[in-house]
Amino acid sequence: MYLNPSQRHLQIPAAVLRRRRLNAAVKVVGTLIFAIVFIVWAFPVVLTIMTALKSDVEVMRGPLALPSHPTFDAFVGVWSMLNFKQMLWNSMFISVGGTALAIALALLPAYALSRFNIPGGDVIFIVILTGEMIPAQAVIIPLYEELRGLHLLDSLWGLVLVHGVYGLPFVLLVMRGFMASIPKELENAARVDGCSDLGVFRHVILPLVIPAIAVAGTLNIISIWNELFFAMIFLDSQANFPVAVGLTILKQGRYFSSWNLPAAAMLIGQMPTIILYIFAYRYIKQGIFSGAVKG
Amino acid sequence: MTAVTSAGKYVVTRPASRGAAFWRALVRHWPVYLGGVILPLVVYAVFIGFPVLSTMYLSLERWNGLEAQRVFVGLENWRALFQDPSFTLSLTNNVKWAIVSLLVPVGGGLLLAVFLSSGKVHFSSAFRALMFLPSTMSLVSIGVMFAVILNPVFGGLNEALRALGLGFLIREWLEDPNLVLYTLTGVFTWHYLGMAMIMFHAGISQVPVELYETAKIEGSGPFQTLWYVTIPMIKPVITVVTVLTVMISFRAFDIVMVMTRGGPFKQSNVLAYFMYLEAFQKYRFGYGAAIGVCILLLSSIFAAIYLSRIAGEAEYVS
Repeated sequence: MYLNPSQRHLQIPAAVLRRRRLNAAVKVVGTLIFAIVFIVWAFPVVLTIMTALKSDVEVMRGPLALPSHPTFDAFVGVWSMLNFKQMLWNSMFISVGGTALAIALALLPAYALSRFNIPGGDVIFIVILTGEMIPAQAVIIPLYEELRGLHLLDSLWGLVLVHGVYGLPFVLLVMRGFMASIPKELENAARVDGCSDLGVFRHVILPLVIPAIAVAGTLNIISIWNELFFAMIFLDSQANFPVAVGLTILKQGRYFSSWNLPAAAMLIGQMPTIILYIFAYRYIKQGIFSGAVKG
Repeated sequence: MTAVTSAGKYVVTRPASRGAAFWRALVRHWPVYLGGVILPLVVYAVFIGFPVLSTMYLSLERWNGLEAQRVFVGLENWRALFQDPSFTLSLTNNVKWAIVSLLVPVGGGLLLAVFLSSGKVHFSSAFRALMFLPSTMSLVSIGVMFAVILNPVFGGLNEALRALGLGFLIREWLEDPNLVLYTLTGVFTWHYLGMAMIMFHAGISQVPVELYETAKIEGSGPFQTLWYVTIPMIKPVITVVTVLTVMISFRAFDIVMVMTRGGPFKQSNVLAYFMYLEAFQKYRFGYGAAIGVCILLLSSIFAAIYLSRIAGEAEYVS
């Protein structure tokens, strides 16, 4: 406390100071406890990074030891073995494409269901939201037939379509909440200026919900990137596999006598979403918030 | 009813019937109705609604997926299903999965969320961000990662236990039929704890600070505050997390697929993987459809609770 002499009477009593010092000590202890929890939690990742940087011989000598001769051989090896360039591209195509489609499909419904008095609007909203909760196993066989009919089996476009449709409910949930919170006055001003419904949407609503698009979009990209079941069933040729499907091949025999290769593959395959996570954490957290609190 | 015409004059319009008003709104706002109501409903009907109904019907048929011919067999698939020990085992495993998930990652997530928002931890938001990271990783990657770590010979976990002097805890984590399911739920915990924590944090951060101040003035200790203030205030979030957790538990697939393929001795089989085996490995599509409908029915009970929460909230928003 920096007090001039005339303010001396404001000085903090000793008892309060003691309590503050105690609280500071409690906080240090709390931080230490949490740090231990965190170290246990981070242990698998640290171990995996270490494993990926070792040769197999070194892994067998002792999995916990620090890599004595760190090498990127495992990364280089698994990169070409699994054709990672292709897999990363496929994953990106599906997740960005599927998310773009989901947003495109959800924008107008969010607008209609938040700012128009549509008869049965709440029912329509709930019906569409059920789409988020339907287990993939309950739709997979007929969807397979539909994609066959559309000639979209074993095609990345087929997965874009499926993920676009199944991403719609979540994007709608987030966007509708955002749009409902935009003050009516903004819209009325545009209407007085002669804007049509779509004009209001384009010039008033859309610019204001760009953060919502980021929130719903990042979470959607990550969840499609990580999705296994649809991709595994609808794709057939290895050239079309996204990372999630490609990694399951690792388990099928020939690579699994090795330890550093799966570790390296896992790190490469997850790196894009981890980078996205670092840069878009704010949006991701907000997306979970709107799922948990508003939902 | 009065309305303002484009010329700005007030005119008196006749009160129309609800139906007429609806049609007038439809004509006036047709682009909104077309793109915002009709299009999503059509998309929903084609790619979600129809497949669900079609799966239900398929569960009454026998079909190997290759021949064009499907044979209607009535309830034969269902009768076989309820007598299939694999089904009972998978269902039990899903129930166990749900119970463990509710106790460990959800309970733990609640504790961590409370602990981190108590103001007794430095760098709490950094901790929160780091602990949440595993929830954004795919279960496939996590499965691959833990398959290496849990390996009985060169795996890091057993090695670490030995190093810590906890050698008596060393197990064949994925090979022991009595243990394998709990190992998998443990791996799932690593993935899910951060998610539960961040959802509880969302709830806790909405609790008005005044309540905590009042509790403090009234002389309430940390556990009393947790029990009498925090938990009652975040009850809606607790409901959502519980329901989501149960739904996720009933569709567990990825970890099982990557780590054990249901083994050893089917002891880690779950409904979703069982469905995949029957439909896409044994080509018993009717039977697989019946399992799919089962998963749907089991999760729809919980989905209904979740949706009623959202519907309640929807009224509040609009």
